[in-house]
Amino acid sequence: MKKIPDKDILIFKSCLISGEYPGVESSTKYLFDKLGVEYVVEDRQSCCTGLGYYYDLFDQYSTTALAARNFAIAREIGHKNIATMCSTCYAILKKSCNILNENDKVRNKINQIFKDSKLDNLIYSPGDMDSEGNIFHVAEVLWSKKAEIKDLPMIDLSELKIATHHACHYFKVHYKEDSIGNKRNPLLLDDLANACGTETIGWYDHKKTTCGAGFRQRYANLDLSLSVTADKLMSLKENDVDILLHMCPNCQMQFDRYQPVIEKNLNTKFNLAHLNIAQFLALAMGADPYKVVGIQTHTVSPDKVLEKIKQASPVAV
Amino acid sequence: MEFKTIKIGKNNNKLTDSIIKDLKTSKDIGVLKCIQCGMCTSVCPASRHSEYDSREISKRVLEEDESLIYDDIIWNCFYCYTCHSVCPVGNSVSEIIQVLRQKAIINEEFEQIVTFLAFGESLLELGIGSIPIEYYSELIEVIGNDYPEFKNKLDEIREELGLGSLNLPDEDVKDIGNILEKTGFKDRLEKIRAYKKSINSEQ
Repeated sequence: MKKIPDKDILIFKSCLISGEYPGVESSTKYLFDKLGVEYVVEDRQSCCTGLGYYYDLFDQYSTTALAARNFAIAREIGHKNIATMCSTCYAILKKSCNILNENDKVRNKINQIFKDSKLDNLIYSPGDMDSEGNIFHVAEVLWSKKAEIKDLPMIDLSELKIATHHACHYFKVHYKEDSIGNKRNPLLLDDLANACGTETIGWYDHKKTTCGAGFRQRYANLDLSLSVTADKLMSLKENDVDILLHMCPNCQMQFDRYQPVIEKNLNTKFNLAHLNIAQFLALAMGADPYKVVGIQTHTVSPDKVLEKIKQASPVAV
Repeated sequence: MEFKTIKIGKNNNKLTDSIIKDLKTSKDIGVLKCIQCGMCTSVCPASRHSEYDSREISKRVLEEDESLIYDDIIWNCFYCYTCHSVCPVGNSVSEIIQVLRQKAIINEEFEQIVTFLAFGESLLELGIGSIPIEYYSELIEVIGNDYPEFKNKLDEIREELGLGSLNLPDEDVKDIGNILEKTGFKDRLEKIRAYKKSINSEQ
């Protein structure tokens, strides 16, 4: 069983969360505050390069050099337990960490760059970070606090039909090492929904299918991209799902921004809204939908959840 | 049907060797262990919806078919790693494709990535990536006017949510620029920029 920390955490900023769904970051902070998880957010931390990496623009070497820089900053501020909100950050950082620990040639070359740039403070020594012991997804930190979550007062959202979308770069990339749960039927998000008293529909056709963003595909090959997204949306429609829970801003963007487009293309209606798991948990705990959860940046408004929140007052335990 | 025996150590497996040793691939990647079972294709979104076929990619790699590097079909992969997560012998077509595309780029085939230039430029300018600018107007067209409206109010919304600055301090952006210059990334961007200019002037 892997040990998930609840202190010395650096919430690792994500470019898509910062620019598309900033409410995921504020919801994460809200939850960590409630659950007593000690964390910081750091201005100097850069993007992981992930989107550029998977647009094939970034080479592994450049990506690893920037990871080494971010790792050094995390260590310097005494918060070397990284918790990512994006599954691509998660996969990219783990990969870079393994390279820095295991590949002497690449590490030495990167360290030489730091020396030549008078950035000696960034120099990486093997073992400075541990891919399994220091790099986590925020959902994992929340998962480790299930018992505490169960004890908190919660708005009853159990009448909603909930399904989960486990991001590919969380459960398919480093699955051999340490992703939580079964790669054949991932349940990390289902467990978290259960912790706040809501059932999920569990398995559904296309549960494991990718969101369809496909990095370049969403832009360079939109029809191909949306046909994959539609597979999943049609399955969710058959199951009358109200809310799809996410753990990656790229997936959330694909579904939330493009759902109306797919509705138009297929001449159908999906009565489905999209929330990151941190947004969902924060709403269930009574967080303000606009001032904390940031739903004003969503394309599809989660009206059914808002209605439930309006009806209910928090139940004291 | 053509049969070919792979003779290990005879240096006639240049492509497979270079893929296995590439920094982008997992250190235990099972390229040579592929048994053509087709599990990868059965779960692949690109194989389901296009001419792309994961198993065929793996086969052509084993056949040392270097024309794959210049075959447009490799650009259909979604990088969802579903193939990677189900392969019974630890092969990863997803990682193979990443290496093939890098080979194309190293050979200055920029056609497929030129539109993503803006991501690199944004990273160098602000320290964070951004949506390719070429697609921004397309996004507004498909998503609607609410999209640019909230984007214009982003700073205000972030402030209301109690979040910090979107961009990195100038000093840090400078450091990142220095690092990316020395890794060769700036050079790569420069080449792609020149390519973009050349195709624009042709039009």
